[in-house]
Amino acid sequence: MRKPSDIPFAQDSSRFFVGWISMLMVFIATLICAFALITYSSVQAWYDNISGSLTVQIPSYDKEGKSRKDVLQNDIETALTILRSTDGITGANVLDDSQMDLLMAPWMGDQVATSELPLPKIIDVSVDTHHLPDLAQIKADLAEQVPLAVLDSHRVALADLVDLAYNVIKLVGGVLLLLLVSMAFSIMFVTQSGLKVHQQVIALIHLMGAGDFYITRQFANRSFVISLTGSLIGFALALPVMMGFAYCLNNLTGSFILIPALSGMQWGVLIAIPFLAAVLAYLTAFRTVWSALKRSL
Amino acid sequence: MFEHNKLSSPVAEFNGVSFRYGTGSEILKDIQLTLDPGSFHFMTGESGAGKTSLLSLLYMNHLPTRGRVRLFGKAVDTLSHAEKAQIRRQIGVVFQDYRLLAHLNAFDNVALPLRIAGVRESEIKRHVSELLAWVGLEKQLRAFPEELSGGEKQRIAIARAVINRPQLLVADEPTGNVDDAMAKRLLYLFLELNKLGTTIVIATHNQSLVRHFGFDELHLSRGHIQRITAATRARNVPYGEGGEKVASAQGGEA
Repeated sequence: MRKPSDIPFAQDSSRFFVGWISMLMVFIATLICAFALITYSSVQAWYDNISGSLTVQIPSYDKEGKSRKDVLQNDIETALTILRSTDGITGANVLDDSQMDLLMAPWMGDQVATSELPLPKIIDVSVDTHHLPDLAQIKADLAEQVPLAVLDSHRVALADLVDLAYNVIKLVGGVLLLLLVSMAFSIMFVTQSGLKVHQQVIALIHLMGAGDFYITRQFANRSFVISLTGSLIGFALALPVMMGFAYCLNNLTGSFILIPALSGMQWGVLIAIPFLAAVLAYLTAFRTVWSALKRSL
Repeated sequence: MFEHNKLSSPVAEFNGVSFRYGTGSEILKDIQLTLDPGSFHFMTGESGAGKTSLLSLLYMNHLPTRGRVRLFGKAVDTLSHAEKAQIRRQIGVVFQDYRLLAHLNAFDNVALPLRIAGVRESEIKRHVSELLAWVGLEKQLRAFPEELSGGEKQRIAIARAVINRPQLLVADEPTGNVDDAMAKRLLYLFLELNKLGTTIVIATHNQSLVRHFGFDELHLSRGHIQRITAATRARNVPYGEGGEKVASAQGGEA
């Protein structure tokens, strides 16, 4: 036989609110958390692209097709000086003819001497992966002193994108925190209302010798169960929405930006959300009832 | 858990206790009262004399406006929440308005004090079934309060109050809604508990019961309390003339 609750929670309509608020909060939290995790994965992939090495190209011929042989060496020295004096750059070296031959072999074959072709000189730049250089500053310095030098531009854009993405993740974290605080406050008010509704029963149970913990636990358990039910429904509703978004984004962007799949650990984080919401509901209800009972006679 | 601790100190002591609700006039005035372990008292008095208020001080529903109440040797105004809960588990209360929980059936209402005390469900089932059979409600185990008559509710309220064999039983008009035969049957239940050491205080208007059982009577009148012994009652001395002041008396010689 199932032991009934001493407090008639079934007659308390405010319980629906806990379920609804949990469902809504978890639905939103799951979506924005998934968004943050996918953004984080993308950022990691982009970060891998811009870390390691960069290239700077210095053309051997100007735009009119005239040889720049007389100024080329000077431009290379200037570019190297700029690069080597920049924080976050661990090395900068000009590719020699044999390295250029090797680089071009997939397109030109191994019989062609690239030194005879009008190819730009390439400076290979090694980057400190833990302390990325300020690419925008390098670009500006090169533009001023070696106007024809070309810094790997898509990497500069990616670096900006990485900065933006990290800021978005921070913003999402703030929104999540706001959601949690809102949920906690909502549950606190609902619990306080429940305490008022059931105050006569609580008084009676107190008179029978029930301690504050006995009563508090009943409210907290109830809040946990209702919140968990609502949270799981919210999570289940968020899954198809999340997958629909991912599908649409992948279709829209094609191969331009690939939406990465969530890793096992990231799925673990998402699955934990409804349970964390239920624990939050438990702790909030517990604290609310405990404080109220401590203030009572 | 059903064994009583042997008490040597009084179960309850009222020392100069006065009580009023809010800013109203005093309902109880300078009450001096001692209830010894194992004593049995009827509390009588006109409606509005303060019987229910005095009982509510006994089960710590209120604190006195003046004076001090000690229960089981401890001043109730100094108790922590945990100590209060512990003492309340030693007190059984039969409320005048029953105060059954409408969402619980008869079985679960009676089982409530045992569940609060953390008794195992198997034991609860056995004890509650036995007690409900004793009060003649073995067929109404699953009935909810709204399905029961006033007398049946009263018996459930009594069963709930005595189920954990309290050291102090406080009953406010426990036989008000039952016939004389059932009233006597319930009083015998209280008597059985009393023989096991429970101190019993029963507020009643039923003088025939008081006379039938012959215990001391605590009579409340205009906020003051007097003790009427069986001998005084036998001489049919009017209250306030031959009754001894409880202020100087102990209540355990029933």
